Amino acid sequence: MSWEFALPGALAGGALDAAVDRRGDAPMDSEAFAAFYERSARPLWAYVVRVSSDPALAEDLMQESYVRFLCAPKAPSLAVDGESAARLYLFRIATNLLRDYWRRPRAASIEEVPEEFFAVSDSAGQSDSQIMLGPALRQMKPRERQLLWLAHAEGYSHREIAEVTGLASASIRLLLFRARRKIAALLRAQKEPAGKELPS
Amino acid sequence: MNSCPHETELRDHLAHGQWPAAATPELCAHVEACRSCADLVLVAAAFQKARAGTIAAARPVAPGVLLWRAQLRRRNAVVEHVTRPLLNAHIFALAFTLVVGLGFVVFEALRNDAWRTWLEQLPQSAVTQWDAFRTTGTIDPTWSLTVVLPVLATLFLIGAVAVYLATDRQ
Repeated sequence: MSWEFALPGALAGGALDAAVDRRGDAPMDSEAFAAFYERSARPLWAYVVRVSSDPALAEDLMQESYVRFLCAPKAPSLAVDGESAARLYLFRIATNLLRDYWRRPRAASIEEVPEEFFAVSDSAGQSDSQIMLGPALRQMKPRERQLLWLAHAEGYSHREIAEVTGLASASIRLLLFRARRKIAALLRAQKEPAGKELPS
Repeated sequence: MNSCPHETELRDHLAHGQWPAAATPELCAHVEACRSCADLVLVAAAFQKARAGTIAAARPVAPGVLLWRAQLRRRNAVVEHVTRPLLNAHIFALAFTLVVGLGFVVFEALRNDAWRTWLEQLPQSAVTQWDAFRTTGTIDPTWSLTVVLPVLATLFLIGAVAVYLATDRQ
């Protein structure tokens, strides 16, 4: 016999749901969440999949990010804090989940993870842009991928990137500059052989 | 690190998708000559194309599934929060019972030697009584009172605890 039946009417049935609601943890109602999800799920998935190079992992982490977002007592509210704050919070959760995932199985730090671990082949549904960016992105460190994606794909400012990644705002500028120079060199190197193959 | 003074302006054009349409000829000429700005244009264009392609490939699950999972997780958190004092009460009751039982046994053992004598004679007595039971098919009433009843009581107690714990887990 469960303890819920030993305490008649205390927490059985709807009383438990009422207790859940009373805590006020949910940052938004279902309709608002569905609209927010519709606008933010694809960009979030794109961020995680391009940084992790693993679509299955990206799917799991994306779902977990939303569940944690909905359960977090201090999550920004759409009505009060606005959608951009909620979206930043969501990206931050996903970034932390990625970092935890990388730290857990093989390495102590995200920077110590060998590049081979992340060099997962991009299989289905590749566009031309992905084929062009994919090999260059795979040669970048995970932290560099995060910074580049947040800055150039999502268009976040240095302050917002610092908020998402947990890095100091002052160091973002330098890290981003180096990462951009590195990937630009890789993209140019990728383009040059293709250009040479073209008939003159 | 060399930061180009045109970077902010160029970044604005790129962020709004206005490059190179809305850019001045001077800025376009500058980008041709500036390595940093050319890198910015190249990288931003590659990432924005990759973003558009990746977003088109995304197949997110229905939001209802995530709402349900979140509701379930919050519910479990509330249940865990509420059951923690009950679990503590269980532990306290068990510890109290064990202490009282142990105290009683020690007290009785110190008070007289009857227990020790009984315990010393128990194995021999049990074997004797078991042989008698096998040959005659009857149980000595004194033996049943001293051995069978405590054994049955212990089994009943352990069984009850096991059943309680099993149903409590469910």
